[in-house]
Amino acid sequence: MTALKLYDYELDEQCYKVRLLLGLLGYAYEKVAVDVYPGGEQRSARFLRLNPLGALPILTDADMVLSGAEAILAYLARKYDGARGWFPDEPETVGRVVQWLAFAGNNLTAASTARAQALFEVRACATTANHAARRAFRVMEDHMTKQQFADAFWFAGNAATIADIALFPAIALSRDIAVDHDEYPALRRWMGRVRTLPGFITMPGIPAYH
Amino acid sequence: MSATDCWYPVALSNDLEAGLSAGTRLFDREMCIWRDSDGGVHAWEDRCPHRGMRLSFGFVRGDRIACLYHGWQYDTHGECRFIPSHPELDVPRNIRVATFPCVERLGMVWVYSGLAIERPPELAVEPLDVLPVRSLYLDCVPATAAQSLAAESGNLLSAGSSLLSIDVEGLRLITGVQPFGAAKTALHIVLPGGHEGRDGGARRAASSWAEQFRNDLESSGPPDDEPIGRYEAAP
Repeated sequence: MTALKLYDYELDEQCYKVRLLLGLLGYAYEKVAVDVYPGGEQRSARFLRLNPLGALPILTDADMVLSGAEAILAYLARKYDGARGWFPDEPETVGRVVQWLAFAGNNLTAASTARAQALFEVRACATTANHAARRAFRVMEDHMTKQQFADAFWFAGNAATIADIALFPAIALSRDIAVDHDEYPALRRWMGRVRTLPGFITMPGIPAYH
Repeated sequence: MSATDCWYPVALSNDLEAGLSAGTRLFDREMCIWRDSDGGVHAWEDRCPHRGMRLSFGFVRGDRIACLYHGWQYDTHGECRFIPSHPELDVPRNIRVATFPCVERLGMVWVYSGLAIERPPELAVEPLDVLPVRSLYLDCVPATAAQSLAAESGNLLSAGSSLLSIDVEGLRLITGVQPFGAAKTALHIVLPGGHEGRDGGARRAASSWAEQFRNDLESSGPPDDEPIGRYEAAP
């Protein structure tokens, strides 16, 4: 029996980041379904003890308790990826990976907010969030356009890292916030690459095809 | 066929890899472009005749594209050939998707805007080796984008086809203008001359120029990000 336990909500793209990495690592874990909508169970006393922010995902590994998708990705990559491919050691790569993890945790919040507004009746200014999300997708598109000129086909270099996993769900699910993929040809090609990684898993709104 | 029908570039060839489908628009009309496994490129109306789902969401297998909803499969002529829920059925020939004439030239995918034309006029663009740079999507009306390009020492290469040659940053670029919609324009940018003896430097410089051009055109620089405090926490 594995010690890893993920408190999870199937429709939450932050939880999907963790499920995706665990799928790619082929690592067994226990998934605990949390009633986020409409129950709001993640804000109950029981879950506030695990994460005072009242948000998923939460990962427990024996006595270790972690919350926040990017932190969990970094932890899992360091602990369970012996080859270190998902979070390499070279200082340059570490810098690039963490830069994009921070981008996923900051700039792409707008996309999560717009999606939560559209799907789960969370109050937010949809127009403002949508605008900020499109701006973030453009930064990603411009970056991947230039990466291709250097024959680097992933965000932090020429191999997939946890940065790609942290950035993938927001754009892959952008149709939930009425943003088509028409304007992002470089991201479209990159999303195709992500989908063909061995161990890739889907979530509602992200089909395997392409 | 109307008097205004014409050839327009809708994508860079290298962005449409074999086995991929993509959505785009011409004058706000939704279009599905896809490349079969033999390298043939196709431009269709973006609607599955069954339930109206966008075919650009679908998936390509060999020389067919299948709808994401119920898996109806269409061949390269737009004819439905297989319906998974009725595998024994000899599919009626009149179940077909409306198709646009489509060719590749100058590293770009070109579509003729008139549907179901047997013999569209020849695309009047000379073949030339090019190095693809990028597609650039602008939140502005097509006429404004074309005027701003012309202001960059642009020369119209071909009157009917929205193709300009411009000199920027010591580079000569060829730019195809796609009238995407009432408030959106796409530019498809290539460098004349092939890959030989060139690293990524010229393409990076051209791409940086493109980002700057977009920022200037859309107003004057990127808008400030809204403070994050405006949002409530996601669930």
